[in-house]
Parts: sequence; C-alpha cells; structure tokens
Amino acid sequence: MDVFIQALGEVFNPLSVVLVVAGTVFGMVCGALPGISTSLAIILCLPFTYTMTPAAAVVLLIAVYVGGACGGSISAILIKSPGTPEAVATTFDGYPMAQKGEAGIALGLAVTASSFGTIFSAVVMLIAAPLLATVALSFQSAEYFGLSLIGLSCITSIAAKDQMKAALSVILGLMISTIGIDSINGTERFAFGQPFLLNGINYISVMIGAFAVAEVLKNIEEYRHRDNTLHEGGRVSIKLMKFAEMVKMWSTFVTASIIGVIIGIIPAAGGSISSLIAYGEASRTHKNDPIKFGEGNPRGVVAPEASNNAGVGGALVPTMVLGIPGSPVTAVIMAAFIIIGMRPGPLLLREQPVLLNTVFLALVFSALLLFVGGRFVTRQFGHILKLPYPLLGPLIMALGLVGAYSLQNSFYDVIVMFVFGLLGYLFDKFRYSSPALILGLILGELVENSLRKQIIIGDGSAAGFFNRPISLVILVTAVVILVWPLIGAVLKKKAKPAA
Amino acid sequence: MAAELVFNCLLGLLLVFYLVQAFMLPPSDNPADVLGAGGFPIILGVLGLIVLLFVTLRLLRTRTATKIPLFELGTVDGRAVAINVVLLLAYLFVLDVIGFVLATLAYLPLAGWFIGYRKPAMLAIYTVAVTASLTLVFGVLFGVPLPRGAGELRELSYLIY
Repeated sequence: MDVFIQALGEVFNPLSVVLVVAGTVFGMVCGALPGISTSLAIILCLPFTYTMTPAAAVVLLIAVYVGGACGGSISAILIKSPGTPEAVATTFDGYPMAQKGEAGIALGLAVTASSFGTIFSAVVMLIAAPLLATVALSFQSAEYFGLSLIGLSCITSIAAKDQMKAALSVILGLMISTIGIDSINGTERFAFGQPFLLNGINYISVMIGAFAVAEVLKNIEEYRHRDNTLHEGGRVSIKLMKFAEMVKMWSTFVTASIIGVIIGIIPAAGGSISSLIAYGEASRTHKNDPIKFGEGNPRGVVAPEASNNAGVGGALVPTMVLGIPGSPVTAVIMAAFIIIGMRPGPLLLREQPVLLNTVFLALVFSALLLFVGGRFVTRQFGHILKLPYPLLGPLIMALGLVGAYSLQNSFYDVIVMFVFGLLGYLFDKFRYSSPALILGLILGELVENSLRKQIIIGDGSAAGFFNRPISLVILVTAVVILVWPLIGAVLKKKAKPAA
Repeated sequence: MAAELVFNCLLGLLLVFYLVQAFMLPPSDNPADVLGAGGFPIILGVLGLIVLLFVTLRLLRTRTATKIPLFELGTVDGRAVAINVVLLLAYLFVLDVIGFVLATLAYLPLAGWFIGYRKPAMLAIYTVAVTASLTLVFGVLFGVPLPRGAGELRELSYLIY
C-alpha cells in the first residue's frame, strides 16, 4: 500500500499535470499525422527526459504513448487515412459518420472510448500484471494461428455487402503479404530480384492508397453532384459522450477493452489485430442495430478505439514484468525506460515497485486528461473539414505521400500507394472490399508463420493445434465465428420458402 | 459488365501467374516444414482462383452494369478524375527531380483547379501556406524525411529541412 501511495505522489503533482497534458496532446498530434508513428513521437520526446526524474520521464513517455494510440483515429475519421495502423478499423464507421456530418460525434466517441480503454487496462494491470504476463507467455504458434483466424473472421462483418468478393479481397491481401523474404527459411518469394520487394510490401502505403487516395478519387467524381455545405463553412463541434449514452453501450466498451487487454498482453499480436477483432465482435453482437456497421454505427468507433487503447496497458505488461517488448512501440518504451534508470524484467516488481505502479497510474492519469487534451486537439483537426473539397483532396494526397515516403525514405512506397489507390478505386466500383484486403495483408504474416511454426514444432504433424487446450478453444471459436454467418444465411434461405 | 469482366480476367491472370511462381519455389530443407516456402502461397492461389470463378460466374448470370467515371473521358466527372490521376502520377515522379517544396507548389493549385475550384488568389495563398506548413511541420519540426530532388535543388533543400 505504501508503494501505491508513493506512486500516487509521483504521478499526481503539478509537474506531472503539465507533462501529461503536453505528452498527451503531442502524442495525439503525432498519431493523427500520417508518417509520424507513436514510436517516433516517443523518440522525439526522449531528449527532454534526460534531465527529468525517472518518475517524471515515465509520466511523459506514457502520456505520449496513450495520446498516440488515440490520435490515429482523428485522421481515420476525418479523411479516411488512419494515422496509425491501429486505427484501420476506426475508418469503417468513423468516416461514414463524418460523411453524414457527425464527425464531431465520432471524434468524441473515439476520445471517450480511448480513455475508457486505457483506464480499464491500467486497472487490470495494477491488479493482475504478473499473473497475466505468465499466462501470455504460454502462447505458442498454435494459439497465434487461432488468434489470426479470429482476426480474419472479421470479414464477415466488415464486408457484409458481398461476402464472396470480400473473401477474394482477403485472399489477395494474404497473397501480397507473402511477397519478400520468407521469414521461416529465408527463401526469396515473388520479389523478382527487386531489392525493394525483399522486405515485402508495407501495409501502411497500401492502406494510405486503398483508403485515402481511392476516397479522394471517388470524391472528385462526386464533387459536382453533392451538397458541399459540410466542407464549406460547416462547424465541427466535438461532443463527448454523455454518461447515459455511455451506459447504453457499456457492453461494447467492456468487451472491446477486455479484447484489447488480452491481445495487448500477447507479444507481437498488436493493436491493429485487437481493434479488428473488437470491431468484428461488436458487429456480430449488435448486428440488429438500426444503423448498420460500415454505415456509421457509433459502436463501430467505440469498439476499435477502446480496444487499441486497452492494448496500451496490455502491451506494457510483458514489457515491464518480463522485459519482453511485444511491439516496436513497447521496444522503444523499454529502451527509453532503461535509459532513465528503470530495469524492466522479473525483478522490477521487487526492486522498483514504485516505478512500476507509476507506469500504471500514469496510464490512468493520461487517460483522464485525454478528455481535456482530446477535445482541444480533435477540434483543431476538425477544422480541416471546413475546407472546400478541391483544396482538401489535394492536401490529403500530399499528406498521404509524406506518410508513404517517410516509411523507408523510398519512392517505391509512394508508387505502392499510387497503385493501391487506383486498385482501391476499382475495388469500390466493383464492390470488392479494401478493408478486407488490408485485413489479409496485416494478418498474413502471422497466419502463415504461426501455421508453419506449429507444424515444424509438431515434426510435420498438425496435431499440436488440437492437443493444446487454449489453442483448441481459440480455433473452435474462430471456426464458429467464420462459419456461423454462412449457416445463418442457409437457415434463413430455407426458412423463407417455408414462410 | 464488360469492365468488371476485364478486371476479373486480369485478376485471374495475376492469380495464375502467382500460382505458377509459387510452384517454382524450392521445398524446405527441414523435413518437418511440410508446407515450405511455397505451400501457403499455393493454398492461397488455388482458393483465390476458385472464389474468382464463382464471382465471375455470378457476374455473367446477373449481368450487373458498373459505371466507372475514370474510364468515361467524355464526361466532366470522368475528365476531372482522370486529370487528377495523371497529376498525382506526375507529382510523384517529379518529386525525385525538383523536390517536395517545388513539386507541392505546382501540384496543389493544379489539382484544386481541375477538381473545380475557381478562385485563383485563394488557391495561391492556400498553396503557399500548406506547402510551408507541411515542410515546417514534417521536415523541420519532426525531422520526417521529405523528397529532396536532384542536383542543385537537392543541395538547396538542406538549407530548409
């Protein structure tokens, strides 16, 4: 208890308030700008921490992390270009809401859900960090494979219009993910001797192209035929969710946060997977909502945002308690913590318990201040919608270009962005699914590697997928999620003639 | 329908090419790696072709017509999209020659004009403001790499970002 009170003192003081506000706002701005990742935002803050006390430095870095995880939703909602990979699922309903003139509500939902997810994960972490970290470490390839299948099952919800074309889009995404060096045995695949293809195709360039560029092209052709008042002088006010509205959606908040925490803890699973799974889960559970998912359902914003921010706390568990960073961002955080004198690992709880508690309390504090900072930052970005589309469209293209080019300082990524922009445009016309393509591309490496690794572990046998209890449960869940809509459709067809 | 049929045919060719390439991948040295480097791509290629076949057969049965303005250059909308695609492509290619600042200064007003904005003074002010902001925020403040161009222009860019 003494440790907890000491940590409270470290976090709730005037300097920390300033640091948390600054860190959260900075993280949100970076997260919202395509091309500036959360890792980069943390690295940019690092020099400022050299002269700080370890606790103050922890507070600042955690605030940037929390802000960055939420910031990606801003550009996802406003211009359909997710600032971070974790915000991909937010575009599915956030952008349609913005198109209907509800950008402010969508941004408010994103901020509220992000804050809730962060606080939820911090509380869970404070109570059960060491236990959860041990459970997460028992995950092997079989469980990862099941998890990736659950992720893929999201196509049934993100592309309800044409399941067959969505399935083909996922397959195309999975195919693109196989380009480059095979990470199991180092074989060069589909690279045709081109050095830029050896590392594979970066899904962020694909995402910018298929979402942002394709959307701009679509808007250009529609510009002359639509009501442009939203873009020309319309006011974007940020509405935070009222408590009563929040209570109505409590199940989405809680379920998405639980998914975020669990997947966040598992090393290398990541926020993009958790947000997709949370979105899929919300759309399955609430498929009878008056507003369909993909057409601006508020739960479609709440689920991915609560989930990816809950993943922040989750991802910090193996990093802090076991010294195993599960993602590039937590790797940077861990490096930063080592620089400021922390020693992440199994001994942290015994040797530096105050700092460990400071981390989780800083999460709570950052999440609370996300409401304040979030309102301010999202309102500033919201002004972008006041621009006439002929000015906004080219700006989105230029931002997309900066985002793609900055990935590897390479024009090839920009060309990839252009090609997938055209492909995304055609996908939209022919009712294929760009989100499903991205889903396949994001999960492809995890699906293939975990499948092959488990078979190798089993000496050529696939029995390991079914021998391990956790794996079996996950696999059965994945199969049920994938197959149930098909069974449901068949049952519906049979019931119709009878009626 | 014709446009989608052509699109599906191109997808089919791509899938066949992918499948052929996948079959050419060498098997793994590790006997436990039964799938090897080519196993997963082969599964994907076959699945892809089967699904594409169903999609195409359904298209032939329903004969759904799809309007694609990008291919209708006789219409105002079609021209606006096509010109913007060409402008974007040109923007990408000149970046490596004249650098981010000059290319963006040229691209923004042209793209805005061809989408339908007809206030030249406002367009000019907007172009300069946006280019300066993007360069300062990304290039100077955050140190994000921006294209520098070639020759003298490359050297000059180092004075800005």
